[in-house]
Amino acid sequence: MTLNSQEVRKHVMDYLEATECSIIEVSPIHVTVKLSPRADRMLTDRPYYWGFVERTGVDPETLSFTFVFDPEKYDSQAAIEVPPTVNHSIGALNPPITGNPAMGATTDAEASADLLNPTSPESNVVHVPSSNPEDSILARYFGIVPALPRIGPGMIRREDIIYGSKRLQQIWSAAQDEGKCLYLFEDPGSRQRNTLFSAAYEPWLGVCYKVEMSCDLKREELHYLGISLTKGTIIDDFNAKIASREMIPRLPENVHIQPYELTVTAATDLLEAHLTSHLAELDYTWAEQARERLRIELAIIDIYYGELLKEPDEEKRLGTQEQYNRRRQETIWQYEPQIAVSAITYGLFHLRSL
Amino acid sequence: MTQLFRNSLPHKGGKSAPILPVPLSFDRNWLQDLELKLDKGGPWGDYRLSKLAVQGEQTGLVTSFDELQCMKHLSGLSPLPHQLDTAHKVLFEMSGRAILADEVGLGKTIEAGLVLKEYLVRGLVSKVLILVPASLVLQWVRELNAKFGISAVAQKKAYSWGNAIVVASMDTAKRDPHKEMLLENEYDMLIIDEAHKLKNKKSTNYLFVQQLRKKYCLLLTATPVQNDLGELFNLITLLKPGQLGNQGDFASNFVVDKRQPKNEGQLRDELSKVMIRNRRGEGPVNFTKRKVRNIPLVLSQEERVLYDAVTSFVKDQYQESGGNLSSMLSLVTLQREVCSSRDAVFITLVNLIKKLPADSPKRDRMMELLQTLRTVKTNTKAETTLSLIQEMNEKVIVFTEYRATQEYLLQYFREHGLMCVSYSGGMNRGKKDWMMDLFRGRAQVMIATEAGGEGINLQFCHHMINFDLPWNPMRVEQRIGRVHRLGQENDVVIYNLSTQGTIEEHILHLLHEKINMFEMVIGGLDVILERFEKKESLEKSLYKIMLESRSDEELRHELDHIGESLSELTQGIKKESETAT
Repeated sequence: MTLNSQEVRKHVMDYLEATECSIIEVSPIHVTVKLSPRADRMLTDRPYYWGFVERTGVDPETLSFTFVFDPEKYDSQAAIEVPPTVNHSIGALNPPITGNPAMGATTDAEASADLLNPTSPESNVVHVPSSNPEDSILARYFGIVPALPRIGPGMIRREDIIYGSKRLQQIWSAAQDEGKCLYLFEDPGSRQRNTLFSAAYEPWLGVCYKVEMSCDLKREELHYLGISLTKGTIIDDFNAKIASREMIPRLPENVHIQPYELTVTAATDLLEAHLTSHLAELDYTWAEQARERLRIELAIIDIYYGELLKEPDEEKRLGTQEQYNRRRQETIWQYEPQIAVSAITYGLFHLRSL
Repeated sequence: MTQLFRNSLPHKGGKSAPILPVPLSFDRNWLQDLELKLDKGGPWGDYRLSKLAVQGEQTGLVTSFDELQCMKHLSGLSPLPHQLDTAHKVLFEMSGRAILADEVGLGKTIEAGLVLKEYLVRGLVSKVLILVPASLVLQWVRELNAKFGISAVAQKKAYSWGNAIVVASMDTAKRDPHKEMLLENEYDMLIIDEAHKLKNKKSTNYLFVQQLRKKYCLLLTATPVQNDLGELFNLITLLKPGQLGNQGDFASNFVVDKRQPKNEGQLRDELSKVMIRNRRGEGPVNFTKRKVRNIPLVLSQEERVLYDAVTSFVKDQYQESGGNLSSMLSLVTLQREVCSSRDAVFITLVNLIKKLPADSPKRDRMMELLQTLRTVKTNTKAETTLSLIQEMNEKVIVFTEYRATQEYLLQYFREHGLMCVSYSGGMNRGKKDWMMDLFRGRAQVMIATEAGGEGINLQFCHHMINFDLPWNPMRVEQRIGRVHRLGQENDVVIYNLSTQGTIEEHILHLLHEKINMFEMVIGGLDVILERFEKKESLEKSLYKIMLESRSDEELRHELDHIGESLSELTQGIKKESETAT
């Protein structure tokens, strides 16, 4: 599965809104945002700065970004709309080196083209790579440096986000960090407040399981399961069932929670048993095939080393024995099929009857 | 909140969990986290973020065992079909242990990058060690980061080893204290570039790699067989011990003679299980063409006199020394330099004179040569080159063998208003890079004395001039390889300057007509040479011929002879390598 620029935009916007960042400017292909302190901590990798803020108690100055979801379109629009002003503001705000690289390159290229051979238009093209940040002095030492921030108007860093970008990965993992453990109530709506009887809410344990089936290859499944802590009922696709309901973090007025019949641990046992029985129904040809590969590989190794282990010299034989053991372990490590289950998100959901 | 603990419900349908055919493990850390937070009453996560995290997981989910996932995560990289095929094979048929043996310039690095990326995306690999020759470390780091978005780090200090993906030089890694640290680790993936350096199973490289603990492993080499099938056996045994049986089996099953395999079909089958070799001649890889222009030129009167004087001096000296080649090397150089520039000759000559005892009879003769040298005022070659460059009006790299010539050309071109930079082996890394930058940017001409080594990738330039020729074809190929490589979008034009009636003309004839090396895009030149040079290095043979032949005719005859044996070898190797794949 991959995401198009609109879907990527949705994910990023969801994150920015959830973390209460202040949006400065937004269009279908970009967003300019001043991060909230919360998002800044998660995204900008500035532990020292935040340590400083905590110790001194100063007001934090968070970073701003322009995230671009469709770089091509954005560039062509920018080129049409505001060439003179862009040029001007960059010139005014930044020394040429940190300026818009495309800008710097063209002017530079033109200058040098003049120097070389004013008649040749090709030298423009040839010259552009020299402003590539990879050729900077740091890159010569470390091989790679983070690309120089591309600074747009107002000293705001520009960053392109597409599927596969590290930033998007980072946003997802930040989202998981802050969103994995839940305790929620269904919003009963305003009417409940005025009704006479308190509504009974059923507690559910919801867990989004990730199942990783691996040998020398790998396949994954997600299972979002829910179990009622009063009745023990288990629901697959729990997130789909509750998707339409509004959830809030506080116990609403005039609502009470039915007593738990199951402890969370006992419920977990049931969920795991349920998941296991589902997994038992899957096709395990992949595992058989992996085992077969493993068997063949081990046979090859056994024969090969069996021969070598006839070596009479004690010291050499020990060396070979060690090599043999290591190679066997490596092979098992490589092929042995296994399934590991972990949880992406989990929590207690208190719901009106489902 | 209050939790009412009563007797819990009897487990409904309390059937015991079915047993899976595969070990299953549940990670319950989350449960502890949840219970801890229940105890403390929070803090609780944000529901919107939770949903986002689940969506993120969903998009990244690997839903199939056997489908390449990595391309979704790579933008701006469009691998060639053979590279994708190779990655596919390594992943799904070879289980991640393979020798990538494409011929030079087909992008083995890209293939390795694809495989690595796929394993990273699938979460099967996180700890990676990449061992390459020192000169390639930064290039690997750059490519992995820029093309694949893989955060690889160059090993600089001991703590660098702690990174998840480290690129290091083999020579550093195999030494203590590094070796010790690496052997204690487990690597999900090990990649070794220029793996033909592992062909000797007694070498420290070999033993070291054998000891490393690794799950997946890629060995990259353009020349898996150089001159001995035993080397191939060693390489494969390092990757998968026993794949070809033990040494005895292998020898009796597959080897007639060091170089000649038997049961070729069977050997090919066995090899195809662990090795992938794409060739330049095949497939849709479009290398641009090499166009060769030989520019003949006639020496001026004074230059001719100098050339003849040097030639007869060199020959006389050789006769006097009784045919001792090793003491003649500086004289051979002299002979070659006279085809390049008088500056080069001058320096060598002066150095020779300095070494002579004051009363040596040679001294007078050499002083005489110096006098002749003085009469030469112009350099026909340099003039021709200048007009060539002015005519093409594009970026061009000029190769010469001699520093003195390089200096002279630099001076000469600058006087005539060309922007040029120099590049030579003695420069440090930083200066080399700086010169590259200048060439890419402002300068029109780069004058280089060195073609080997990493870093001069000049795809943006497609003209090269061989101001003089190395007598070692590998070095000629290296020169061409600087501009004619994957990523070059234009046909490469190679200009060879050859002065008529000199030794240079013959050498050019040999390289061009006999080995056809300027147009050869097939590769395998190294193998041809290695075989040829079993007896004596080609360069040395050429020296001998040059010094010993009495007439031009004899010279030509001898050179033809060499040319023929070279083309025979080429044929032979072609046949062999066809069977090896």
